[in-house]
Amino acid sequence: MKLGLRLTLPAQVLVLFISVFPLLMQLYISLTDWSPLSGAPWPRAWEFWNSFANYTDIPGDRRLWAALGRTLLVMVICVPVEFLLGLGLGLLFVEDFPGKKLAYSILIMPMMVVPAVAGYMFFMLFQSGGPVNDLLSVFGPVTIAWLSDPWLALVAVMVADIWQWTPLMFLILLAGLVGVPQDQLRAATLLGASPWQRFRTITLPRMKVIITIALAIRAIEAFKIFDTLYIMTGGGPGVATETISVYFYKITTNDLIWGYVAALALFILVSLSIAAQFAMKRMAR
Amino acid sequence: MTAIHLQGLTKRFGPFTALQPMDLEIRDGEFLALLGPSGCGKSTTMNMIAGMEKPTGGRILFGDRDMGAVPMARRGVGFVFQNYAIFTHMTVRQNLDYGLRMAGVDPGPRTAAMAELLGLTDLLDRPSQGLSVNILQRLAIGRSAIMEPAIFLLDEPLSNVDAAFRAVMRTELKSLQRQFRQTMVYVTHDQLEAMTMADRIAVMDHGVLQQVGTPLQVYNRPANTFVARFLGAPGMNLLPGHAVQSGSAVQVDLGPIGLTPPLPGPASGPVTYGFRPEEVTLDPASPLKLPVTHVERIGARCIVHLGPVKAVFPAGTEIPSGVVGFTPGKPCLFDAKGGRI
Repeated sequence: MKLGLRLTLPAQVLVLFISVFPLLMQLYISLTDWSPLSGAPWPRAWEFWNSFANYTDIPGDRRLWAALGRTLLVMVICVPVEFLLGLGLGLLFVEDFPGKKLAYSILIMPMMVVPAVAGYMFFMLFQSGGPVNDLLSVFGPVTIAWLSDPWLALVAVMVADIWQWTPLMFLILLAGLVGVPQDQLRAATLLGASPWQRFRTITLPRMKVIITIALAIRAIEAFKIFDTLYIMTGGGPGVATETISVYFYKITTNDLIWGYVAALALFILVSLSIAAQFAMKRMAR
Repeated sequence: MTAIHLQGLTKRFGPFTALQPMDLEIRDGEFLALLGPSGCGKSTTMNMIAGMEKPTGGRILFGDRDMGAVPMARRGVGFVFQNYAIFTHMTVRQNLDYGLRMAGVDPGPRTAAMAELLGLTDLLDRPSQGLSVNILQRLAIGRSAIMEPAIFLLDEPLSNVDAAFRAVMRTELKSLQRQFRQTMVYVTHDQLEAMTMADRIAVMDHGVLQQVGTPLQVYNRPANTFVARFLGAPGMNLLPGHAVQSGSAVQVDLGPIGLTPPLPGPASGPVTYGFRPEEVTLDPASPLKLPVTHVERIGARCIVHLGPVKAVFPAGTEIPSGVVGFTPGKPCLFDAKGGRI
């Protein structure tokens, strides 16, 4: 055996157990009707073999496609809003102003709040008799049932996501903004460029990589949105705020159809990998 | 073309004074070098002229226009940064015509003409990332020059360039300035650059303007001991002594070294006796005597250390050993505070 291989063998075995083994296990279960209640331990799942039946069920699963659509909707609304807010705040914070340090600490606090706590917080805020309605009552008496209206519940969930994750966007973009060479900005100013022209011709091109990274991180995270949302609405009313993660969680814990869940998870993983590849190639250009 | 007037210009950073109130007239079309060691306030002065920093006090006028309220984008100043600040994500052409594009002017022929002048024509469509320092430098100058600014400021533009190219650039910069006929302010800590290119040199130290004059005036008639020591390589020899009046002339008692030949002018008390190393001649009959302690032979010249004194001779000069007599030429006298008498 080569020395290199011998030295890395323990790590290789570990990686095998962490990533390859579960994947194979998942693939195996996805080809069966096995569930924890079927009376046999998982290695004997072949007793419930149903070949590709789980996979052929996927196209007809209307609840899945609705959840996927909702997840994508949350993603395409939350991520751009977080990006624009984060960029705006970043541009504000590259300049000095009195009270900057304090404002900075307050701004990044939402990111440090445990998502479950944030979930309860927004659950309270959006009650019919809660502070949000009280605030809106300034314009006249309102009793909006935020969390029991299908669309408003989705809005509330997105507000919570934007509140919690704009700080991360802000931090990443601020790091990028600070890294734009001051001399180049000054040189552009001396050549007569207006602030907007400087932003467009110097700042933005220099931030390309960091913007790509920030958007990618948030897009991936937004796709997996779960904890805050689940505590606020539990995916409801009905299935109105059911995202991919919530749907998976429900059919795993309530319906216990593990073979189908395994097939679904593999399907999503493969489709996402293809989509990500495609997106990365486009962004690189 | 515009003259620059600095009137009582001052800059403080908190408790630290970077620039004591400074008055300086930079004439229309003049090449002025701001010369001094690092931290002397020369870059601060230039940043204030460009509008990058706000003065704590005093005024800056271009011609008869007060620039106090004019932001840096409107000052019409060309500025070449020490690191050139080239927009590395753009091509050479995009760098060169940046100012024109931002102003909404069609760059067309002006870019081509500027590229031709600076020998950048073949590189126009190359990305500016990874070009050699020599090219970046010309590009930085061209990018500012294309805007035809009345005033051109250069912040140590040659400090990153290798020695051989520096000599070429000195000539090139000077001829560019003659072509453009702009008022140029050139910040440097390299006296050779200042001496060879500048019409006048402003020597600064610790935020204080020490002396302004043509290169030869500053070299031959330094206003104080700082200027005397800073200019020349090696700098002027400065020996502490005691002035002794002899008739209408003065002699300086240098202690164990001896009594100097008489100088014109009244002086008394403790003084500093200065003379250039190039002006020293060996003379066994001289009353001034010192031992030869070290000889540096550096190609065309040799530098002889006579204790605290340095003397420069042509390469082949025969240097005796032991104690020698020497005569300083063109001596200067400075008072106890370092000012020239």
